[in-house]
Amino acid sequence: MKNLNRYGYVFIAPFWIIFLVFSIYPVALTFYYSFTNYTGSGTAQIVGLANYKRLLTDTYFVEAFFNTWKIWGINFALQIGLALLLALIFSDMRMKLKGLAFFRSIFYLPNLITISSVALLFGILLDWQHGSLNMMLLKLGVISDPINWLNEPTTAQLSVSLILTWMWFGHSFIVVMAGVSGISQDYYEAALIDGANRWQTFSKITIPLLKPILLYIMITSLIGGLQLFDLPMLLTDGIGSPDGSLNTMVLYLYNQAFKYNNYGYAAAVAYGLFVITLIFSAFIFKGMYGKERKQPRQV
Amino acid sequence: MKKKLSIFMVFVLLAGVIAGCSSDSQKSGKSKDDVDLRIWSFTDELKKPIKTFEEKNGVKVELTIVPIADYPTKLKPVLESGVGAPDVFTGEIAFLKQWINAGYWENLSEKPYNANELSDKFVPYVFDLGKDKDGDVRALSWQTTPGGIYYKRSLAKEVLGTDDPAQVGEMMSSMDKVFEVAEKMKEKGYSMFPDEGSIRWFAQGDNPQPWVNENNELKLTDEKIQYMDYSKQLRDNNYTALAPEWSPSWFEGMDKPIKVKADGKEKETKVFSYVLPTWGLHSVLKTNVKNSVGDWAVTSGPSPYFWGGTWLGVYNKSENKELAYKFVKMMTQDDEFLTSWSKETGDVLSYLPVTNAIKDNFSDKFLGGQNNYEFFLEQSKEITPGIVTKYDQQLDTLYGNAVQQYVTGKKSKEAAIKEFYQKAQNAYPDLKVPKK
Repeated sequence: MKNLNRYGYVFIAPFWIIFLVFSIYPVALTFYYSFTNYTGSGTAQIVGLANYKRLLTDTYFVEAFFNTWKIWGINFALQIGLALLLALIFSDMRMKLKGLAFFRSIFYLPNLITISSVALLFGILLDWQHGSLNMMLLKLGVISDPINWLNEPTTAQLSVSLILTWMWFGHSFIVVMAGVSGISQDYYEAALIDGANRWQTFSKITIPLLKPILLYIMITSLIGGLQLFDLPMLLTDGIGSPDGSLNTMVLYLYNQAFKYNNYGYAAAVAYGLFVITLIFSAFIFKGMYGKERKQPRQV
Repeated sequence: MKKKLSIFMVFVLLAGVIAGCSSDSQKSGKSKDDVDLRIWSFTDELKKPIKTFEEKNGVKVELTIVPIADYPTKLKPVLESGVGAPDVFTGEIAFLKQWINAGYWENLSEKPYNANELSDKFVPYVFDLGKDKDGDVRALSWQTTPGGIYYKRSLAKEVLGTDDPAQVGEMMSSMDKVFEVAEKMKEKGYSMFPDEGSIRWFAQGDNPQPWVNENNELKLTDEKIQYMDYSKQLRDNNYTALAPEWSPSWFEGMDKPIKVKADGKEKETKVFSYVLPTWGLHSVLKTNVKNSVGDWAVTSGPSPYFWGGTWLGVYNKSENKELAYKFVKMMTQDDEFLTSWSKETGDVLSYLPVTNAIKDNFSDKFLGGQNNYEFFLEQSKEITPGIVTKYDQQLDTLYGNAVQQYVTGKKSKEAAIKEFYQKAQNAYPDLKVPKK
């Protein structure tokens, strides 16, 4: 018995070595740097809590915080709404749509394109003078002057939200569909017999039973959303133009570290971001499951 | 048997991990394979020189190319730790100052290099940029990258009555004169520049100052502020084709008329000129122009400027400094090599003994036979040394953003400048920034 135990440790050693070297060590080192004024070269001097004090009063970080939420929020609302709507259509017993597998892959396709290609593609589509979108709108007579999509704070943020929605609604749709197919058909049949309409079936059966799935989508999307970086980085000049509207938290972190060489401060930003993610994940978790506990089981 | 198998499996797994860790450290050991010299750079430019070097000296050189976007982030940890580090590495103007003062490059002013003796053999500003804050030479460059204005001869003849570079240059020798030309261009339906960003190289005006002075103070000169107005003027008077640098339409405008949409109208316009440096001819214009070859010429703008450039030096912890410097020497001071190099690539060199010998015999078909070599050498002499700081790239971007905000009418001039100061302070907390 004793011997077996020892072998067990040896077996899990590879994972732990990799985990320690590539995950724990950088995390710990970042924590250390967040108390220093490290600039990426030379030695780091301990500056105590100065970086964290600066973080709390940093208007650009606050701006980045709200930008991230705005961009993620719009994207999430659209993405989940679209996914649910599609799930509703495809799972409807009365409609009996064919080609689910086909549409599922079509919807998922945008998610397979690398983000830099997506950025390049939309950069061209949304181009001010020669972009396809403006050309189309001009031809249709919707607008008389081309709109500089990526040069106006509102439209730039909206563009990023919509691109993210386009990329991710297929993914959410697949997860939601998986959840929907896990719901017993009995409920729906019973509802049908009771004369429930579509909306009632959806809101009283599908949504409540999908709660764990929705929670999963929300938390993974939130964690991903708070780390929003690549699209804002690639769509404009990489420092959050226009007018700081695409300055997200991770982009801010990146620029502080790798453009301005404020590694110490960037480490503090990273920990700020970590705390924010933690708080909001806990918040969502509580909101979703806390309620359930309060309500007695319904039969 | 089972036991043996499990021990074996553990071994395999562990070996995998250890192999992953060790391959790097082995590479850095000098004894591994037969590479004599390691060079890191961000373009493949050095491939040919390295071949020449290998043949000349009978050594083996390994070139590692890292794309420019990742270059500083990849090179820095290697230089810091010395593990897997190159013996020679190049640096681009954008991060040159930072690296020079970080001491990664060997001090070439000391024996046995004595690089200070070379000072009058190089274009002054190029040599000066390779010096650290104590005035010691850390890096050298084989090229000089002054800029000019490339324009289309046919449009110059039609609108200005001449296509002679000297005369056209005279017509654009100040910003006010540039606007006169722009107005004439506009009357004929042409655009002076692709977009207002083109004139950023003239933002210094006739008073070139570093962004940050020796007291660590951020300085925004009156000339730079005036440049905001010039930019706005270009936009407001529709002197440009609204084609931002490096955008598809910017490239298209070099060869063809492009469409511009503004004020509810669409018009077609030809772009008269592009503000580009030496390398712009070979790697931008020549690669994108097909129809108008020979219809181009280059001349000087309102003020001299330079854009880009690559320096190289010896890593201070290299174990093979002698050979490393030999390569640097060949790249920067070898008459025979440099002569053939410049003839092959058209690169404008900074090593005067060679440039003086070859400058008279240059002429470029693309530029209608103009001797651009001599032109650029003259320009390079006029560049003020000592105005480059490690902050330049980021501050230029931040200021460019502020100008853009003002040009598009989103912010007043004062608000844009204030924003610039705040962002500069945020990026560099140690700077003394005017509180306005």
